[in-house]
Amino acid sequence: MDYRAVLRIVLIGALLLGLIALPSLVEKDSIINLVVLILLYVTLASSWNILGGYTGQTNLGHAAFFGLGSLVTRMLWTSGFPLFPSMLLGCAVAVALALIIGVPAFKLRGAYFAIGTLALGQVLFVTVGNEFPLISALPAKALASYELLPRYYFFVGMAVVTVAASYLLAHSRLGLGMMAVREQEDAAESLGVSALRHKLIALVISAFFAGLAGGGFAFYHVSYYPQFPFAPVWTFDAVMMTYIGGVGTIVGPVIGALFYVVIKEYLALNLVELHLIVFGTLFILVVLFLPGGLVEAWSKIRRQYLRRTTPKEVEPSTTD
Amino acid sequence: MLEPLAQSLVFGVLVGGIYGLAALGLSLVFGVTKFLNVSHGELLMFGGYASFWVFVLWGVDPFLTIPFAVIFLALIGLVLYKLLFARMVKLPEEVKIRNTLLIGFGLSLILQNIALRLWTADDRSITTFYSGAAITFLGVRFPVVRLISLGIALVCFLALHQFLHRTFTGKAIRATVEDWEAAAMMGIDTQRVSQLAFIIGASLAGIAGTLVAIGYSIDPSMGLEWTLVALITMVLGGLGSIMGTLVGGLLLGVTQAATSFFLGGTYREIVGLLIFLLVLVLRPQGLLGTKRE
Amino acid sequence: MLEITNISAYYGDLQALWDISLIVNEGELVALVGPNGAGKTTSLRVITGLLRSPTGSVRFVGTDLGRLTTHRIVELGISQVPEGGRVFAEMSVLENLELGAFVSDARKQRQETMAWVFKIFPRLEERITQRAGTLSGGERQMLAIARALMSKPRLLLLDEPSFGLAPILVEQMFEMITGINRQGVTVLLIEQNVRAALELAHRAYVLENGRIVGQGHGEELLSFESVKSAYLA
Repeated sequence: MDYRAVLRIVLIGALLLGLIALPSLVEKDSIINLVVLILLYVTLASSWNILGGYTGQTNLGHAAFFGLGSLVTRMLWTSGFPLFPSMLLGCAVAVALALIIGVPAFKLRGAYFAIGTLALGQVLFVTVGNEFPLISALPAKALASYELLPRYYFFVGMAVVTVAASYLLAHSRLGLGMMAVREQEDAAESLGVSALRHKLIALVISAFFAGLAGGGFAFYHVSYYPQFPFAPVWTFDAVMMTYIGGVGTIVGPVIGALFYVVIKEYLALNLVELHLIVFGTLFILVVLFLPGGLVEAWSKIRRQYLRRTTPKEVEPSTTD
Repeated sequence: MLEPLAQSLVFGVLVGGIYGLAALGLSLVFGVTKFLNVSHGELLMFGGYASFWVFVLWGVDPFLTIPFAVIFLALIGLVLYKLLFARMVKLPEEVKIRNTLLIGFGLSLILQNIALRLWTADDRSITTFYSGAAITFLGVRFPVVRLISLGIALVCFLALHQFLHRTFTGKAIRATVEDWEAAAMMGIDTQRVSQLAFIIGASLAGIAGTLVAIGYSIDPSMGLEWTLVALITMVLGGLGSIMGTLVGGLLLGVTQAATSFFLGGTYREIVGLLIFLLVLVLRPQGLLGTKRE
Repeated sequence: MLEITNISAYYGDLQALWDISLIVNEGELVALVGPNGAGKTTSLRVITGLLRSPTGSVRFVGTDLGRLTTHRIVELGISQVPEGGRVFAEMSVLENLELGAFVSDARKQRQETMAWVFKIFPRLEERITQRAGTLSGGERQMLAIARALMSKPRLLLLDEPSFGLAPILVEQMFEMITGINRQGVTVLLIEQNVRAALELAHRAYVLENGRIVGQGHGEELLSFESVKSAYLA
């Protein structure tokens, strides 16, 4: 199986090179903006996946972290604070929220956690909408010096870091513990895996990267609506993408994000506003019939192909 | 100072009845099937639109559009159940709850966007010649439409209560809520009971939607807000208690009204959500419910 | 009447029953005994369809139950009193009994059946409007059995009816069970109280670790550890 690992590294390397070289290869800003959107979603979906996919806790208020990272970054940065510290503070505030709500939130299991986080997300959304101005623009100096490229590369870096963190987490003992909690929380507890600790850590990591995505979002946009990043649609998009791509996997959110933006662009050309209906349907189909998403579909196709070429390969047992 | 407050509270009570009705359907479905259908608000929205169009196209009196909404939602409920939820009934509880939550969630997006495409994002409202009429009592205005709506909501509560307690099917539903395996051992077809509960739940949502369209306004994006209202009311009133749901709805309505009065309208929605979160964490069976499991 | 052939059962990947076969003839009172965790309740769940066996078959008066849903199996004439009775605590004694007669044929005759049931369990008639949750343990158990009888079953499955009952109630319980059997109801009895079970039953099967290790009449089964220890206890 060594050739597969090598192939993987080569592909990832090619992808990274492609991303880095993209601005010099394409003329139109619109394509760069599209890729920025994909990278944003990759980060947001991956961050959700850590709590939702690895640890199995469905957080329907994820936009709160995204929003906080965004809001704090924007506020600090537009009042003169340097950019990266602003972003870090944005992440810190998101993490702070995670720590505050973590213990009480995880008293709730399953569906109750989901609707609890849904309510919490809504509280933040409405509060920010009430307390903050409808729109803010970049101060004149920043506006004049607005450049797309640095922002593009920031997003590349942000997405790479997030996916790398996902990868490392998935292969760590911590990640293993999280997945144990997802599968059989009570059984995991009896084996000495502290469910609460793992959930909290997953929540914090998830919040951090969502906050980071929020920071990027604040950095990127010229005109800014403080309430917008808190909107439930960000959570819903992240959830759908992750599931369609393959919840609980490392590349699932990445594939889902790519798939989503590409299909949305295509549909926007032909059938306006239909993309959410299409995705909602795909999402339901995935939940019902293909819980592993596109990742699972791909591995099934590959196994079919392998079975035809190497008939002696042992059929792995599938237990539901 | 007292009159405006009393007026505010009266409005709170009047909307609270509809809150209770919105929650009733969800509570029934959850009790029987353990599905938490987070697209319940969208079903309510569709009920409102069904009534709206029947009213606009055929000139039917607003309250008489209710049967149309009921039939429309009953059909939608049946289709959705057979297509999506029926296969979930036998699954182990944790998987069932998670999957139906996700499906409901996807469904809410689909339904919201279908409504958006069909009917645009404009607010709609059913207004008729008596929409402005009100009874004034002790200086407080009681809008006639909202009074009738409260009355209809109360009738629905009563009707459901009677159904569950006096008919064989109703008792079968209650038995399934308590212990579905034991119910199956009685020869109760739990699959059909689940289906019936889902259809009734959708129909109740439809009636609530009509009342919202008549007394207030509807638009495609109202779903989430009303799903949350239903959830809050359900949790406040206690899972498994019909009368509790009514009380929960009234409580929410009044609390929102009081908050709006003293702290300003922007905090209306938040206070309900915060109470919800508190109750959820501290007393998940609700203020009036019985502790189960 | 009831013919179980080579069934097995799994909870997920965990196998609980291996190759179980047993027969209950019409009119008999057959006991299934064995230590805790042997798989007795699991066997009942396979019969009533709450658990499916990937192997073998369960036939009731010739009909294969393997593909039927639980409520269809009940309609055919099998009634179960699960472990602990599982009465509907929020509902009254009367409502519980009414629900027992849910099956359509039984529903029409429920007045008569209830009269019959009250003859066997007079205490229940006194408590007819009480919420089942307020009954004592013994009364709840009686209600559970009475409820199961309301569907006028041909085969009654009893899962540990004496569990948790005071000794004097246990004796009464077994008398009632024998009485029910004599009135024509075939009974498959699961009991931890091995001694009593063997005295009541026409025949018995011994289940250990998910397998049938023996069958026969009272004394024949003394050679089995689980049976012997019950007598020595």
